Amino acid sequence: MTLRELKVCLLGDTGVGKSSIVWRFVEDNFDPNINPTIGASFMTKTVQYQNELHKFLIWDTAGQERFRALAPMYYRGSAAAIIVYDITKEDSFQTLKNWVKELRQHGPPNIVVAIAGNKCDLSDAREVSEKDAKDYADSIHAIFVETSAKNAININEVFIEISQRIPVLDAGGGAAGNGFKLRRRPSETRTRTCC
Amino acid sequence: MMRGLEDQDKKDDSHRGVSGTVRTENQVTDGVSRRSLTLLDRLRLCQDAWAPGGPWDRDGAHAALWGRPAGSFLVLRDSASQPILLCVATGGESGHVRDNPIQRTGAAYQLSQSFLGFSDLAQLVVFYSMSRDVLPVCLFIPPWLYSLTDQPQSNSLSQLGPKSWLCPTSDLQPDHMTQRAPGTAMCTIQLTAANGALCIINPLYLHEHGDDWLTHQPTSPQRVNRPANHRRERRLSTTRPWSGAGLLTKRAISMEQESYSSSPDNPGSPVVQATPSPPTPTGGVVLRRPSRDASIESLDRTWSQDRTATSRPPSDPKPLFSPAPQSPHRVSWVEDRVWLSKPPPPSLLRPPSLEMDSLSISSMEEEPESVNSPSHSPHPSHRLADKVKHRLSAVGLAIGGLGCPQKRLTKRVQELSKRKGGLFAEAVTGFVEMTLGAGFIPGMTGADLLQEVRTALTALRETLLDCPEIHILIDSMADTPDGELDAILELSLHKVALKPVSAHLYTCLQSCWDHDGSLRKLRENQRLLEGRGVEELEGTPGAGVPDPVTLEKIQQRWSAMHQSYSPSRKVHILLKVCKTIYHSMTANANPGVVYGADDFLPCLTWVLLRSDVVTLQLDTNYMMELLDPTLLQGEGGYYLTSLYASLFYISSFRPRLATRQLSTEAQQSLSQWHRRRTLHCNQSRRSMNRRTLRRPGHSEMGREKSSYAETETGTGSITDAPPAPSSVVAKALHIISEVVVAVREEEGSRAEGQGSPAAQLQASPLKEKQITVEELDGHPAGSEVDWEGGVRPWRCVVEGLESKEGQASLHRVHEELCARSVKLDDQTDTQISQRRSEWTGLPVGD
Repeated sequence: MTLRELKVCLLGDTGVGKSSIVWRFVEDNFDPNINPTIGASFMTKTVQYQNELHKFLIWDTAGQERFRALAPMYYRGSAAAIIVYDITKEDSFQTLKNWVKELRQHGPPNIVVAIAGNKCDLSDAREVSEKDAKDYADSIHAIFVETSAKNAININEVFIEISQRIPVLDAGGGAAGNGFKLRRRPSETRTRTCC
Repeated sequence: MMRGLEDQDKKDDSHRGVSGTVRTENQVTDGVSRRSLTLLDRLRLCQDAWAPGGPWDRDGAHAALWGRPAGSFLVLRDSASQPILLCVATGGESGHVRDNPIQRTGAAYQLSQSFLGFSDLAQLVVFYSMSRDVLPVCLFIPPWLYSLTDQPQSNSLSQLGPKSWLCPTSDLQPDHMTQRAPGTAMCTIQLTAANGALCIINPLYLHEHGDDWLTHQPTSPQRVNRPANHRRERRLSTTRPWSGAGLLTKRAISMEQESYSSSPDNPGSPVVQATPSPPTPTGGVVLRRPSRDASIESLDRTWSQDRTATSRPPSDPKPLFSPAPQSPHRVSWVEDRVWLSKPPPPSLLRPPSLEMDSLSISSMEEEPESVNSPSHSPHPSHRLADKVKHRLSAVGLAIGGLGCPQKRLTKRVQELSKRKGGLFAEAVTGFVEMTLGAGFIPGMTGADLLQEVRTALTALRETLLDCPEIHILIDSMADTPDGELDAILELSLHKVALKPVSAHLYTCLQSCWDHDGSLRKLRENQRLLEGRGVEELEGTPGAGVPDPVTLEKIQQRWSAMHQSYSPSRKVHILLKVCKTIYHSMTANANPGVVYGADDFLPCLTWVLLRSDVVTLQLDTNYMMELLDPTLLQGEGGYYLTSLYASLFYISSFRPRLATRQLSTEAQQSLSQWHRRRTLHCNQSRRSMNRRTLRRPGHSEMGREKSSYAETETGTGSITDAPPAPSSVVAKALHIISEVVVAVREEEGSRAEGQGSPAAQLQASPLKEKQITVEELDGHPAGSEVDWEGGVRPWRCVVEGLESKEGQASLHRVHEELCARSVKLDDQTDTQISQRRSEWTGLPVGD
């Protein structure tokens, strides 16, 4: 089975629950004995998708306005970005739109964009309607889900959908994220030396 | 055997003299606190937490364990309805919990499926936290338990309940981890080999095969006959139950050497029931204790004296330092500190599976504390190297041990680099000479320089991989993951190629940076920011920062990082620092709080502001450019990026505190204004031809909701009109204010010595306001609203927002301000245009 490493970048205002989403996603089979990470800023989880193993390397970013200029350093080379907003904060949805624009302009080409409206458990305080968000996501061909890190709603779904949208590895193995160059190389060289 | 001394004292009066002696000696010689607790002590202290009595039953335990990390456990005391139960969360999607009944046979506790017996529950727990034996996973001891060091903290342990026990996030300072492997579980023998690895031996194996393979050593000048014979006497025989005494003795020595926290065994030592056939009577152990204790005593003394005295009294027996076992069949090797400080991998016998791609060191623990490193390890740097090598060759990889293929590979690379006439050796020499020969060329950036080196390293690697010998070696390492192979090759290359040139590279780097002046800026901004608390750096309240002691340790790490020549090792140290920072952040956190990048980056920045940023900048560049690019996506890459980002944040910091204040102030005023406006509208001005924030299409709705808006003080948010005008306006305000302040900064820096922008703003507030107002002509201020003085221009901006003309005016303001500022630097310029594009992209007024 092929193991693919997929860098996933988390964007969104501070306080919308970016790290809680990852934590939720990772904790299900979180075994501190096997692969503990230093903290929730960077976490990994491997899931099977069809006949591939997708190892998500999840990069969290700081959402504060002042740190926005640093984001390109983080999303560089990402296969996917999850942009999180808080359904109870209209502002965070506006920020999301700016992130989408920025990714379109400066992000990696073909980056898979997922939009997560977090805190859907707080529907009483909702400021962003699900339909508006969904329409917006459709208009930019992004994955859309409303999530609740608190109640573990739709967390895995985000990543499953990302897996589905990641381009299939072509036979040549040209896509990024595979880790086979070392073995391949020696065998190539070997054929050369044998002849 | 390695029970804590306190424990010893408490339980065994007859040993007081022995341990007392040892302690005194150690205190005198090392000044090391002997009060540190072993894991076993800690577990005993909080036994009520993991083995609750009273209302806790099986269902309650299952509920509490459901979904917990694999290995989380609770022990239920026996009751009428059930035996003692060890409930273990097995992890996985289902959050399954498994019950394992514990039998009590006489004085021994044992899992009913296992033959291993223990004299109390704590020992059983400790053992199964190291070796899973019949369990599906190793028991998980919450990390915070390891970090408790002093008595007051420990006293609170006894008050903990199962809830806190199961909470994995109550991490404290891991840096003070002083616990050592609790070794009381006599069913295992643990000994420390010369290289610091820890060895766990299955007693069943010893029972079958005896233990002399361990003691057999062909060459050992240190050895004298007596101990060997002594040990041979103790060899396991079928007629006498085995107690492992000889081996345990060695263990005691080495553990003392490492931590001073171990002590001779106590009489309540657990019973070995290696097989069900001969259940060892406790009496058997007691009978043999005198000789054993004597040997321990003398050995302990020997050891202490050995460490302290430069010349050893000739009469003393030589210490029994154990060499590495000769044929470690069925022996698990674990790197020492990994094993000692963190919960071990679920099964020690699992094949190694280290994720080198991500350079994850989390399972690795802190360096030995400085208290024991000087005496214990005369070559700290060498130790570190060993350790990294261990790490790279993966935990448990040394199963079967010495001369593992990974080490051979490293060695082979070194040989090849020195082989006269060899292709690789010539390439290496060429690279080193070329690099050393090249000096600083004006105009060259540090990145250029390092990228050339990186290219050369990659080329060297290709050359290396072309060597048939390396081929054969790599092919023979089919079990080793590619990422790991990659890492080993990289490290080997660093050693042969980077080591000779790293000092020179640093000199060149320094020149490059000095030349471009950014280091000066970094230093200046450091001075500007260093007084700030983490909250002023945008940090979250509640996240802690390192205390002075920890900070000091971080500084030491930084300097170790600087001294290392290998980028991989540097990253490795960086990860340790980040881990320390994380621990400080979470030290006082409420359980369940997840700290992500929002919290980490400010905290890292806070630490950097108290560090040598200039050196760190050089190190960061060194790592960024020289690290194998495939390693940049993992954990190492992430934290390296964070370090880079944080340094960038500091060096590019623009003191725009004024912006913040203005912006907040403006937003507040705005919401008040908006409230009055809508209220006003509602009351009497319905017919008036004046603009409000609402778009015409929504005015009806707006009026209906105005009373609602009124009650919503302070937020100014409106729920009925997407996109919310207030956020649009706030955004615009922010943009404008940034522009204005940026301009002001430029002017301020020209008019030198006028203080901070905030001060300037107060000194000459009118100028900008006038400009703004002028530019927004045609949009008179609403006279009926009584405004707070400071935000007049912003209100005008707001007024302007309602129409296309207004937006156009805004653009003109931007243009004008940009033009007026004469020379905005590129960064500000880009920033402004970026903002402007954001702004124009906002769906307003269409």
